[in-house]
Amino acid sequence: MLTVDALREYGADVDTGLARCMNNEAFYLRMVEIVIGDDKLGALKEALDARDFKRGFELAHAMKGACGNLSLTPVFRPVCEISDGLRAEKDMDYTALYDEAVTQFEKLKKLAE
Amino acid sequence: MEPIASKVNVNHRRYVLIVDDEEINRQMLGFIVGSEYDVMYAENGRQALEILRANSYRISLVLLDILMPEMDGRELLDILRSDSELHRIPVIVLTAEKDAEIESLRLGAVDFIPKPYDMPDVIMARVRRSIKLAEDNSLLSATEQDSMTGLYNKGFLYVYADMHGRLNPDMDMDAVAIDINRLHIVNDLYGRAYGDQVIRRLAGRIKRYADEHGGYAGRSDGEFYLYIPHTDDCDALLEELGKDLRLNDDDIQITLRMGIYQNADRSTGMEACFDRAENACKTVRNTYASSYSFYDSKMHEKELYDEQLLGEVDTALAEGQFKVYFQPKYNIRGGRPVLSSAEALVRWIHPALGFISPGAFIPLFEKNGLILKLDKYVWKKSAEQMRIWKEKYGVVIPVSVNISRMDIYEPGLEDEIRSIAAAEGIANDAFLLEITESAYTDNSDHIISVVNSLRSSGFRIEMDDFGSGYSSLSMLASLPVDVLKIDMAFVRNITTSEKDYRMIRLMIEVAGFMGMTTVAEGVETKEQLDLLKQAGCDVIQGYYFSKPVPPDEFEQFIEKEMEESKNADS
Repeated sequence: MLTVDALREYGADVDTGLARCMNNEAFYLRMVEIVIGDDKLGALKEALDARDFKRGFELAHAMKGACGNLSLTPVFRPVCEISDGLRAEKDMDYTALYDEAVTQFEKLKKLAE
Repeated sequence: MEPIASKVNVNHRRYVLIVDDEEINRQMLGFIVGSEYDVMYAENGRQALEILRANSYRISLVLLDILMPEMDGRELLDILRSDSELHRIPVIVLTAEKDAEIESLRLGAVDFIPKPYDMPDVIMARVRRSIKLAEDNSLLSATEQDSMTGLYNKGFLYVYADMHGRLNPDMDMDAVAIDINRLHIVNDLYGRAYGDQVIRRLAGRIKRYADEHGGYAGRSDGEFYLYIPHTDDCDALLEELGKDLRLNDDDIQITLRMGIYQNADRSTGMEACFDRAENACKTVRNTYASSYSFYDSKMHEKELYDEQLLGEVDTALAEGQFKVYFQPKYNIRGGRPVLSSAEALVRWIHPALGFISPGAFIPLFEKNGLILKLDKYVWKKSAEQMRIWKEKYGVVIPVSVNISRMDIYEPGLEDEIRSIAAAEGIANDAFLLEITESAYTDNSDHIISVVNSLRSSGFRIEMDDFGSGYSSLSMLASLPVDVLKIDMAFVRNITTSEKDYRMIRLMIEVAGFMGMTTVAEGVETKEQLDLLKQAGCDVIQGYYFSKPVPPDEFEQFIEKEMEESKNADS
């Protein structure tokens, strides 16, 4: 079951995230569960493979916003870098960042099991 | 469409439209803003535009994300700024990009909120300020005319009518209130633009009639007014105004209702004259044909009756004409219903007029402030009764008492109730304070602070009539409430309406999640009770168990409960 303590241990900046949810723990956890249920990484991979930077940016940007608001720092960091790179249409290898995002997202998912 | 001035003056909950493609962002912002405003959501600019066009005069603010699929925030801002109707709605841009802040201000946004949403308080302050600024601007430009029809607003109509009276003191005048019957159906069938055209068509006729007869025409809060030299031929007046208001021959008939206060007595003031016309208008029952009604002696008698009641309150209080009755509440969670508390309900037994229904005097007292005196009286009598029962039976029966909207603004409220409880040796938590749901929507900040303070003194708070007003279930999270009392209307329909039953289940579930107890009132049948029990409701109140009864009759419930609990124990 997802708890704030588990999220804290995972590396999320829970206090900041909670403050943004007016310190309502149940609401905060519900939001994190929505993020977990809305896995955009598969679609992001497809966009990156197809070098569809516009679509890739939309997906990374959306994830960045959600993870940023909830202070899910471990996922937010790589996704933010991907989003910034794609926004600037940087033709670079996103594999390492993408893999890191997947690893962190999987860890997050495990917390909710 | 309503005139701008009426929108800004009335104490209604405002709508904020949140436009963001990311669900988390929408929900988080909605959670913050929802504590004070009603919220609508859109996932992109195109959806937002549709909502705005359909609700242009209901929405007070748009919170707009910039980067979105379909139609992005920039494009929507562009459309809004050049739209004659939508340009008045202020827009705050939501952005994580520094560059977008300046750009969005240039595009016409009034402010921006940086992402992530770090400080909910700051967001609320910006939202409030933007709405206030926009409304102040609208108010300034609204001046004396109804923006949609060009007719005078009510306030200005009074001024002109008054002036007319001073210049023509001997002329008999009629005050007339006019309404379009079932306008909402016309809007639903043919769209709001159609309804607006009908309103303008009627406004044109009313204005022409006023001009031709040396009178004045006005419109406020969706109602039309005429102040005209007296006419005996009201049929002709109705015919002239109401003839064929529909736009096409095949459309449904559009009818009017009209209330007329003939030979208006100007000494009572213009406001009272038009109030009387409006009251007459409200009595018109047939909404399928145009018809009218006069302010008559019966209505006048009602006014006099109200005056009499108001004049006798002090005597009635001093002589104990108000009687506090108690209706039992039963906890149904266990195997058998257990008497858990009671609600105090006031009755007026007048020495000459007999039994006066609370429906006749409570709204009246609420209107002019006398409710404060009456509420205090009921609190005192209830505490006294709790003490009597405690002494007689050794048990405390918690009692719910009403806290009116006005009480909440009384500075000494908490001290007052505390000292009443202390005087009778009753613990604060035996007092359940009922506050109606609609009071919460009036001024949430103030009420929340009052309620918090009462709760910290140990009083328990019941939200009365939940579901009858405009609260959303999500609002419950931010409200300090111990008990949720489900509005009778839902209970009434629970056996026939699957929707109402599902609604009740949902309310109970959410209340449970928030740690609140649920009470269903107005329960009359076993079938209703069984369904409520199945839905997980905690406490039941209603005629199924008993009507409100005087204290001595209530004692049979206490005695029965003591007997049953003894049997259950042994």
